[in-house]
Amino acid sequence: MSQLKIAAVLLISIVLQLSLREVWRPLAYIDFPLIVVVYIALQREAWQALVVGTLAGLIVDARSGGLIGAGGFSKTLTAYIIFFAATKVNLENPLLRIPVLAAATVLDSAIYVFWHRLLGYPPGVPFVQTISYKLIATTVVGTLVLYMLDAVMSGESAQRRQFATRRRVARRSTGPLRRR
Amino acid sequence: MAVDARDANGEQKILRVWTQTFASPLQTASSKASGATVGFFEQIWNFRSTAAENEQLKERLSKAEAEVHAARQAEAENERLKALLNLNEQIDIKSVPARVIARDPSVWFNTITINRGTTSGITQNMPVVTGGGIVGRVITVSPWASQVMLITDEKAGAGAVVGQLGQSGALGSVRGRADLGVGIIEMRYVSGLETVEAGDNVMTTGQDGIYPPGLNIGKVVDVKKGSATQAHQILIQPGAQLDHLEDVAVLLYRPPQRSTPQQPLQNAERTR
Repeated sequence: MSQLKIAAVLLISIVLQLSLREVWRPLAYIDFPLIVVVYIALQREAWQALVVGTLAGLIVDARSGGLIGAGGFSKTLTAYIIFFAATKVNLENPLLRIPVLAAATVLDSAIYVFWHRLLGYPPGVPFVQTISYKLIATTVVGTLVLYMLDAVMSGESAQRRQFATRRRVARRSTGPLRRR
Repeated sequence: MAVDARDANGEQKILRVWTQTFASPLQTASSKASGATVGFFEQIWNFRSTAAENEQLKERLSKAEAEVHAARQAEAENERLKALLNLNEQIDIKSVPARVIARDPSVWFNTITINRGTTSGITQNMPVVTGGGIVGRVITVSPWASQVMLITDEKAGAGAVVGQLGQSGALGSVRGRADLGVGIIEMRYVSGLETVEAGDNVMTTGQDGIYPPGLNIGKVVDVKKGSATQAHQILIQPGAQLDHLEDVAVLLYRPPQRSTPQQPLQNAERTR
């Protein structure tokens, strides 16, 4: 995956995150940088996912009223957990991305709020309500954005999916042979 | 023909009458039919020009709508700026007009970013207001922009009084509460013995060292009555439209320094 492409996608996601709230307030519930982080983590690009998570979190932190570093930490940790899961379990199936996105949204928000509460800086909005809106918005929009990202960064991800399918088929076909 | 020509009196002829009687319905029908036919062909003929005209009218309508929208926006902006100007005249504190350029992208906090910073003389903790009332205080300043914490944030607060300053004893402090949402703030520590009713105005007292006294905060919308030993629980709707902030003013206000006693007070040192 070209690093230039990743940088461009990250930049666009941050610009969208910073500006869409001005257009319509509910659009702020879509966490665009998190979607990009999840996508890169799902590609099993560990370092890239961690760097993108940290950068995206820190930039959004700097523009928000929260603690600087809380978003960076939550996104980095989320990226690592997804990367770890992706190396253990095959998450290339597009349908599996939906629960992954949902889990990532909840995890990211929970870690973010946890740090703020721990350091005596409680968020100014209701937790359950906000996390629910974020979950719905990010999962729905994220599913579509992941398809678009697939198209933009098609080369390697398509190849990886193909190999994953081939591996599964190979395992199935060699299974009975091993038993013999 | 000859008889008709010779009739000097011009009396009507029976032939003409009968002919006219029978022919007129047919003529009427044929006239209508020919009119409709001509109209139909005219319509076809005009169809192309009508379509073009329709396009032109649509374009003009959309332009007119855009102009009306722009005029409404200009009117609203005018009202907001007038209110800010009135406020300036009332409180006699120098202020810097600013425009809201961004809101908190994380949705967890109630902050806004304005397009004025240290180059305009803004420093940390300066109050931000609109014509409707206080908005919040500056928490971060950069050369060309500042971040403002809204009064609805849990970390924000202001000394407040229900009613007019100097006439009411219903003193307390206002602050945001996460479960109340953006549109409502809470006032605490108002003695349960004070009379507070929904609809009362709430003003700043100036005791917080951030906001000057006498600024409007909002209106009481709900009161859970207290008692002699329990404070009232008061909910306030902020006077400033915090959801639709566009133009604000930063008051270049520095609270008066509290004088420190030359000598320590007698009870300052604990004696055993």
